[in-house]
Parts: sequence; structure tokens; C-alpha cells
Amino acid sequence: MSHSTPPDCEPNSTSTLPEQPGVLVVRKHHFLVRWSHWLNVAILLGLVLSGISIYWASPIYQHEPDPNTGNADVAADVGIWICAHVPGLHAYSSPPDWIYKHMSLGPGMLAQALRLHWVCAYSLMLNGMVYVAGLAMGGGWRSLLPRRTDLLDALRMFRYYLGFPFAKLARRQWLHPLFNTKYNALQRTAYFSVPVAGLLSVATGWAIHKPMQLHWLAALFGGYNAARVWHFWLMWIYILFVVPHVILVFADGWDTLRSMIVGWSTRVERPEVGRNEQ
Amino acid sequence: MKSVSVKKPQSFFGERSLPAIEVAPRLLRNQSRRDFLVFGAGALAALAGAEFLLPQDTLSRMGMHRNMDSPGKEWFLNKALRIDDDVAEAFYSVNRRVPTYTKSQVTPLKNNYNGTTPDPGYISGWKLTLGGLASGLTISLDIRHVLTRFSMHEQITRLVCVEGWSAIAWWAGLRFDDLLRAYPPMPQAKWAHVESSVNLDASGNPDPYFMSLDLATAHHPQTLLATHFHGQPLTVDHGAPLRLLVPVKLGLKNVKAITRITYVAEEPRDYWAERGYSRYDGI
Repeated sequence: MSHSTPPDCEPNSTSTLPEQPGVLVVRKHHFLVRWSHWLNVAILLGLVLSGISIYWASPIYQHEPDPNTGNADVAADVGIWICAHVPGLHAYSSPPDWIYKHMSLGPGMLAQALRLHWVCAYSLMLNGMVYVAGLAMGGGWRSLLPRRTDLLDALRMFRYYLGFPFAKLARRQWLHPLFNTKYNALQRTAYFSVPVAGLLSVATGWAIHKPMQLHWLAALFGGYNAARVWHFWLMWIYILFVVPHVILVFADGWDTLRSMIVGWSTRVERPEVGRNEQ
Repeated sequence: MKSVSVKKPQSFFGERSLPAIEVAPRLLRNQSRRDFLVFGAGALAALAGAEFLLPQDTLSRMGMHRNMDSPGKEWFLNKALRIDDDVAEAFYSVNRRVPTYTKSQVTPLKNNYNGTTPDPGYISGWKLTLGGLASGLTISLDIRHVLTRFSMHEQITRLVCVEGWSAIAWWAGLRFDDLLRAYPPMPQAKWAHVESSVNLDASGNPDPYFMSLDLATAHHPQTLLATHFHGQPLTVDHGAPLRLLVPVKLGLKNVKAITRITYVAEEPRDYWAERGYSRYDGI
């Protein structure tokens, strides 16, 4: 992007001052897509933190109480193990609470967790509608539709990322797969799947919240208890998505991150030409 | 030689090439600055919102020890509960039945007294006191009267706790609706205040339990005043001799060892609502 100060001139002036050439950009993300994307960071964080605090109240995964600790919660076991094996944590005051104190609002605060979960849940549903509106208005929805070739292409992308660190260390050539669409297949798969998972989280959430008035919805997921299990594992999709997503956004360069703030990108390509980077 | 570009036929669902536009650098810079400011302000607002809304304990653990509790915070968070309660009430229908099960599907139901289980000594002299009646009288019923005066209904339904666990249990008792017909509340009553004076806290001290029940739900055909559990008279663990069984609401509304029901016009106090939980609790 040009940083020089353009001469102050009218677009159609007859002045002899040279006009600054315009910058060529592509519109990449509609404002509503950008808005909902960033707001989701806060909302998802709130949902996961409050959600795990809610989980504490009646963990899905339990075993017979341990004869030594009295603990029956598998998640608490993880905390107990961490405190026992990580130097510096051996004297931690309450090992069974470690996971909840570090991955959630905290143990023993069900009422507060529920309140925050509703604030974030209703916000998520509203934000989801904003996102859909943005995809529709900007036409970006077309770039997210899955294709028949996506499965193999996504695996090729995955193989590229797996081999990338080794190729870098061995200083060997490792070719980025060609693609001529807005997103590569792995991106498209991820960016399509995560909102679908979001819809399922909302659906299972309602099934848990209204298992009598929406008993048909709970039945779709296998009943009340099964809906809780779905809801728990769907949460992991967001957690496991976010880490590679953030890493790859940064790895892709400033233009990519910036485009989700300003909505445009200077990477203007003719559609037949793919990107071939090492 | 002029190159000819052939436009490929585009389907509605087909990927479109991103529209490239030429923008004056000044315009681009201004727009970018605006967007960075807007989203930067948004990020700050999110952080401020988090500091405002997160529980005090969580904030302290993160290193923020300033007391953030305020009436505004409580108001906002309770508003979320009330909105959710209103949604729950909108879902309610007196005609919608909760799923019922067979005896083979019954699952263990633990003693879920929040504090200590009351001493069974209260059972022998137990009476159910009814107030706020249309007749203006205060009525006292003993268990014999309850068992003989009303027809008993059996149902096997799921009890769902606010904590997330649930159990399928076999109950029998009279319909709350039948009690309302036999002893009608005063006409302006919209609520039942259901109390258990024998409830105890974790140390065994008296901790009367009470909750608000909207009369619409009390009339629901599956709302029972249960006297039997798994074919036997209720034990003290499960709220002998009479408890509420309202499957369209969360477990915390299913008061054990009911001692008094008062019909009132305004929404009465609710034990768990005063401790930060919701009020209507419809599921």
C-alpha cells in the first residue's frame, strides 16, 4: 500500500499535477462478517469459560470416587495429575480444582456461570444472524460452499503443513498446493464446518435447556444425556480450531490479518493463476 | 492484436472471483484508519465488558482485586436470567406433555437434599397447611386425608437438575390441579408459594425452603403432589410424606416435605432465585 502523501487534486481537474495512481484491492470480507468474527472471539471465550464452570457442577465423565482423594471427576483428575507432575505446582492448594481455576470461571459458581452463559449464548445467536447477513450481502457465502474435490485437496493442504517444518529444517523444496479460489480447501472445510458446529452447539444447548418443551429436539441428539455429550465435544471443535487458525493467519502475513479488520486485500490475482509458495 | 476474454457461464452457487477495485490511496488510508479505530474501540469495550461482568472470584484469580460488584452488574446479569425465564415461559404449553417412560427405564435417584437430610421425626405429626384460599379459611390436611380424598395418579418422568444431571423416576400422587379444584385459591391469585419448614442447611440448622410456582404450571396435568416413590410411600430422603413433582420445571422447584402452600397475587420469594439462579425454571 502506498504511504506517500497524494497531491491534493480534484478527480476530474484539468490541473497539470500528476494524479496519484489508485491502489488495486479486492473486497474480501463484508463489514458484518468482520464485526461478527471479532465479536465471536469474546463470545466464544465467554461460552467456553462459563460452560466448563457449568460442567463442574455435574461432570459428564465421572468414575467411582478415588479412595484417596474422594474425587470422581475425570477433568479434576487431569488437574491432580498436572499438580503432581509439574514442578512448582506440587504445593498447589486444591489440585482437583486446578483445571477449573485455569480453564473456566472457576469451580463452585454455577449460578454466576449460568447467567454469563445465557448472556453469551443469546449474543452468539444474534451474532450468528449478523454473520449470515454479512455472508449474504457480501456474496462471501459462495466461497464457503464445500466441493467434491475438497476432501482430497484439504488432505493435501494438511500434508503440506505437516511437512513444512521438516522441509524448512532440511532446507528442501516443499511446494504449496495450487488453488485459484478465495480459500484453499482446508480453509473452506474449516470455515464451513465451524459455523455448522456452531449451529449444532446452539441446537444441543436448547435441547439441554428445554428438554421437556423441546423434547423432540433432545430426541434428535439421542436424548437429554446424549445432548449434553454432544454439547461438550462440540466445544472442543472451537478450541482445536482456534489454535491452528491463529497460527496460520499470522503465518500468512499481515495482509491476511488486516483484511479481517479493513475488509480488503492487496493480493489481487487473475483467477487462473494460483499461488505457489515455498 | 486485442485479446478477447471469454466470460465463463456462472452458476448461482459458483465461486465468483473477488471484485478488484481501484481506490485512491487517501481514501484507503482513511477507511483503514476508521476500521482500525472501530474495531480497536470494540476490543476495549469487550475488555471493559469482561471486567464488568466476570464474577469477582474469577477476576481476583486473574489478578484484579478491585471490587467490581455493583447494582448495575447484578441488574444486567439478572436481566439475562429474566429474559431467559420469559423465553421459557413462552415455550410452556398446558397441552404439551413431557415424555414418560416405562418401569424398566427407571434410573437411580439420589438424595439431593442440599443440606442435611431432616430428621424423620416431623413426619408423624405432619400437616399440609393451605392459605390464600377463596374461602378465606386456612385449611390443614393430614396425610390420610390427602391419600383418601384424592385420586392417585402414577407417572414415570425425568427429573432434571439445574446442575445438569437427571434421573427417570416412578412417582404417584394427586394432581396439583385436583387440589386447586378442591380448595380453590382466591380469584386474584396467580402464584403458589410452596414451603418446607423442615429443611436444614449443611450444618443441620433450620433453613426453611420456599419457592414460587406459577398457577398455570400448577394446573399442568403432570404436576403432582407426590406421595409415593417407586411404588412405596415416600421416604425422608425423597421428601416424605408429600413433595412436589413438576417435570416441566427444574428439579429445584420440586420441593420436598411440603408443609405449607399459600396462594398469592404477586410473585413470592424463591430460595434459589435469591441465590442468583433463575425464577421461572421452565424446561
